[in-house]
Order: sequence, then C-alpha cells, then structure tokens
Amino acid sequence: MASLTTAAPRIAGIGTCVPRRVFDNLRDATGFGEVEVRKVTGMAGVARRHVVDGATCTTDLCFGAAGVLFEALRVDPATIDALVLVTQTPDYIMPSSSCLLQQRLGLSKECAAFDVGLGCSGYVYGLWLAASMLAAPGLRRVLLLNGETPTLYADPADRSVSLLFGDAGSATILEPGRDGGRWHFVLRTDGAGRRDLIIEAGGFRDRFCGESRKHFVAMNGSNVFNFTLDVIPPLIEDTLRLSGRSAADIDYFILHQSNQFIMKHLIRKVGLAPDRVPLILGEFGNAGGPSVPLTMTQGRLVRPERRPASLMLLGYGVGLSWGSALVDLAPDAVLCHTEWPLGAPGEGGGN
Amino acid sequence: MSRTRISRKEALAWIAETFSEQPETLDEGTRRERIPAWDSLGVLALMAGLDEKFDIRISEKEIGALNSVGDILEVLKRHDALAPD
Repeated sequence: MASLTTAAPRIAGIGTCVPRRVFDNLRDATGFGEVEVRKVTGMAGVARRHVVDGATCTTDLCFGAAGVLFEALRVDPATIDALVLVTQTPDYIMPSSSCLLQQRLGLSKECAAFDVGLGCSGYVYGLWLAASMLAAPGLRRVLLLNGETPTLYADPADRSVSLLFGDAGSATILEPGRDGGRWHFVLRTDGAGRRDLIIEAGGFRDRFCGESRKHFVAMNGSNVFNFTLDVIPPLIEDTLRLSGRSAADIDYFILHQSNQFIMKHLIRKVGLAPDRVPLILGEFGNAGGPSVPLTMTQGRLVRPERRPASLMLLGYGVGLSWGSALVDLAPDAVLCHTEWPLGAPGEGGGN
Repeated sequence: MSRTRISRKEALAWIAETFSEQPETLDEGTRRERIPAWDSLGVLALMAGLDEKFDIRISEKEIGALNSVGDILEVLKRHDALAPD
C-alpha cells in the first residue's frame, strides 16, 4: 500500500510561471454563444486563463519558473544534483524534456535528470519522489519541475474543456531537512478509468491517426465527477490518519484546481472550511498538476510567521491517478511568480 | 444513515429548480429534450444535487438511462428517497 511517511526535506522555495497572454472567456471565446459561455464559465468558475502562444512549450514555462526561483534564492545551478520534470505535455516525444532543461538552466552534467509522465496528480507524486531521493545522503538539492500546456490538447469545439484549461510551469527546490520532521504521502491509481480522460492518438497505439478529434483530450465529465467524490474524502481521511493529525491542524488544503463546481461540492461534502481551500481557477483555469504549486504562490496564503505552515496537497485526475502530500512550508521558504515571455518591468517578485 | 425522503410534488419542484425551470412546467412525462438546461452541465448539476440532498450517487449507466423527469423520479424511488404517495 502506497501510504508512506518520509523524512521531511526542506522546501527552499517555489516559483511559478504562466504565459503572459490572457484569454478572457467572455470577451474572447468565439464558436459559442454568450449564454452558453456564461453557463460554462459560471459552472467551471473560470473567467480568465493564461494560454501559450504557438511558440511556447512546457520547458519554457518551467525555465521561467526555475529562473525566477534561482534568482530569489541566489541558487548556484551547479548545486542542483537532480532534476525531476513532471509533465504530460513534453516538448518532444524524445528526448526527455528534463534533458533540455538541464542544459538550458546551466545545470551540471553530473546532475541526474528524468521525466515523469503524470498529470493532475503529478506534483504530489513529484514531491514524494524528491523526498525519497533526499532521504538517502548524497544529493544537495533536487529541482522538481511541473509544467503543462493543456490548452494545446483542448478541442476548441468542445466547450467542456476549451474554456477550462490554462497553462503553467512550476519549480520547487528541495534540500535535505534539518529539523527531523515528517512528510506523509498517500498515493493511489485506478487504470480502469483510463478512458475518462484520454488523448487517444499520437502515442504509439495510434501514432498517425487521421481523425483530428482523437488528438484532443476526451473527458467523461460525469465519471470524473463521481471519481472525485469517491476518492478525495477517503484520501483526506487516510492522510490524516497516517499522520496522526486532525483537519484542524492543517492550515490549508491545496486542491488541484479542476473545476469550481466540483471543488465547492467537495468542500461542502467533506466539511472543509472554505477559507482553508484557496481557489485560483477564476484567473488561471485548470492547469493540471502545476495548479497545486500555482495555488501555493497565487492563492494568497497567510503563512504563520513563527512556525511552518502545514499544507495538505491533493492531486487527482487523469490515469486515473490521485494522491496527497502532507508537508510543511517553513516561514522562510520563498514563493515567487513570473510570466512568460520574461522581461516586463517589475516582474518576478517574491512573497 | 437515514436518507432524506420527499414527496413526489416536492421532488418535481426540486427537479425544476435543478434545471432552472418553473415547477408547473414539468411533469413526469417531460422529456429531457424539452428542458434546455438538461445538457452535460445540467447532468453534473443533477448529480451534485442527488449527492448533496439525498446522498445518492448515480453511475454512468444510470445517467445514460435518464431521458425524462419520470426517470429521475424513478432514481429517487429506487434509492428510497421518494415518500410513498
């Protein structure tokens, strides 16, 4: 059973990066009537999303996120001993996009780098990997990148997804922990739900499929709804039980920003205090796995000054794959954000 | 846990509210095609309402079989959420 407790690494900082280009659903959506757009955006909760242009890919967003974080922390790239990139929208089928970023970020050739192909649960899984890697001595720092460009796999004619997604990249620097703390992870999978969120063509089952719609994501909304309600309440319960904590001990529940309707229903069902569940969908859409770190930097978290913030991160979706990470964020951990392309005045501020 | 039970009249009113319709415009024979809000988003609203009000979870198969207001009432009846007449 993948319910695990590890030595807690230290999160030195988290950087996020979104495309500068903003798509306002009501102003910019063509192809659907205004009434229809209002209905969809009202339910999903997405007013605006940051979307890539034709020249921007996942590695660009992750590069931007890592860059602003390196600058804020004054990190020497040579001290990064491992790079993990979690994405399901890599720049190429091969080579791994992590290799591109190793070179682009100026990391040492003695750095380990690899991709992990997970979507909405990806950041949580990535943290578990990083924590596990740091549990053994030898690595000075792990750079966890999580980036997605889901707007590029949304069919413009499919209103259930075309008005929902936003693009984002994130970078998290982790170091060996100093205070003997513990992180807790509950990780789960159900491949029986593989068709509930799927891009059928383009992989090696059907690489050159002539049906263009099969190159876009197909989502079974009602199954995804049921899945979310089935798995998240026990996931929260299992994580609290594993850690010996109660919901009152958790400062924030950081949910993957899937769909406001589903999230609010879930919050009511589980009995979570709404002010402990930040929602950023309205401005950023559903960005897949990176929506979790993006919520941490953009969710206006009020962090304690004299103790670490206790955060339960919850990722769930494509696979079907889901998981939780109960982590601590120290008061001096840097949270910063930027936009791509870089270069506008005043950007890259930390908080 | 004892399930919420409502009368047929209350159920019709609840279904009307879920689909933003006036209660008097719906009866058991009303087909989904005649209800503009009964689309894929309306199905999600229905699923959420069934879950929140009645603690009823319906499967993809059950959703596929819903074609009229009467079918929704049958779901309520099947899950013991409809009080006897």
